[in-house]
Amino acid sequence: MAGSGQIRQLRRRIRSVKSTQKITRAMEMIAASRIVKAQRRVQQARPYAEQITEVIKGLAVSGEVREHPLLTLHEQVPRVAVVVNTSDRGLAGAYNANVLKVAERTIRDEEAAGREVDLFIIGRKGDGYFSYRGRRARSRWQGISDTPSIDAAAEVAQTLMDRYAEGLYARVWVVYTDFRSSFVQLPVRMELLPVKPEEFAGGREIAPEFLFEPSQQQLLDRLIPRYVEAKVFHSLLESSASEHAARQRAMKSATDNASDVAGKLNRVMNQARQDQITTEISEIVGGAEALSQGA
Amino acid sequence: MATMPVEVVSAERHVLTAEATELYARSVEGEIGILPGHQPALVALDTAPLRVRTADGVEHRIAVHQGLLFVGTDRVIVLADVAELAESIDEQRARARLTDLERRLADQEDAVLRASLRKQQLRLEVASTGSGQV
Repeated sequence: MAGSGQIRQLRRRIRSVKSTQKITRAMEMIAASRIVKAQRRVQQARPYAEQITEVIKGLAVSGEVREHPLLTLHEQVPRVAVVVNTSDRGLAGAYNANVLKVAERTIRDEEAAGREVDLFIIGRKGDGYFSYRGRRARSRWQGISDTPSIDAAAEVAQTLMDRYAEGLYARVWVVYTDFRSSFVQLPVRMELLPVKPEEFAGGREIAPEFLFEPSQQQLLDRLIPRYVEAKVFHSLLESSASEHAARQRAMKSATDNASDVAGKLNRVMNQARQDQITTEISEIVGGAEALSQGA
Repeated sequence: MATMPVEVVSAERHVLTAEATELYARSVEGEIGILPGHQPALVALDTAPLRVRTADGVEHRIAVHQGLLFVGTDRVIVLADVAELAESIDEQRARARLTDLERRLADQEDAVLRASLRKQQLRLEVASTGSGQV
């Protein structure tokens, strides 16, 4: 009899949908709590970045910043670096696809202008994407994008700064996802290097009675790399908050879909069960009829 | 007693806000002590302990790596890549990492490892003295 087999199959599918739903709901809740944490980290990192920019601005008014190797232009160098911030884990909706689209566009633009592109990839997803397409990354980092630390940011920044200072690149792009709100995350690109003098313009001059230790110029030399680090750190933090937000949304819709599917399957199963009962009754009635006629 | 507002900010978070009477740090050129009303200054800090003494006699000890001390006319700001209060340092983990680094340095000399070793030593030094009354 076909009915009971069908019902058993439907039961099994409902069970599997419901257990998947439990997983997606758990992931949704984890992601939601981590957005809050990630956002707090973005906010906590802000004072440092602001203060350091203030101090550099103050120093830049009187000191000469243009001579710093990270501000030197290498316009004629036919090579650029592109840093791509992706996640290590999937199940985050279109998060990685969106940021990779911007990365691809940046690469295309630079290649159309006749420059070669060196890739620096953060996150396993970006790594997989580009190696599948036959692009070799110059460096890659994994395990730092989920909860980025300043040490990780410093390492990434140092690699880029060293290579830029050697004059290998005309520019260093950082592609990341900007966290505007829990609903809006925008993939963006930012020009990390060269540091532009305008970024330090408009500062209040530090009063001449200031005591500098070591000299003003040496202080600037120490601070500009810190500033670049803070920018890299910021891009990592924004990306991480965006990743969690994207995952939360993806998992929420997965949970909702699972409810829908389970509901639909339930209806189909009830129908099948009723059909089966109806068939059984008519069979019994039919059988009884046949018996009474035969008697 | 005269005090000055002190803020310690690391790249990851705000570490300390306090009304301080004294502050001691080590700059790249030597020890430096700041009292309220100090001449404005901008000082690059070494990887060293920072001590902030408040009006109620508590001394906060903070491990600072790669920092900058800004003394303004009305406030003092310490900016550092990493700044950790003595009480928030996990002594056991620092010790474990120290031993690990020492072992690796015994095999091969490496400037980066040497720098992290220095960091761990500082963390341990700060953690073992701790903050407290003086």
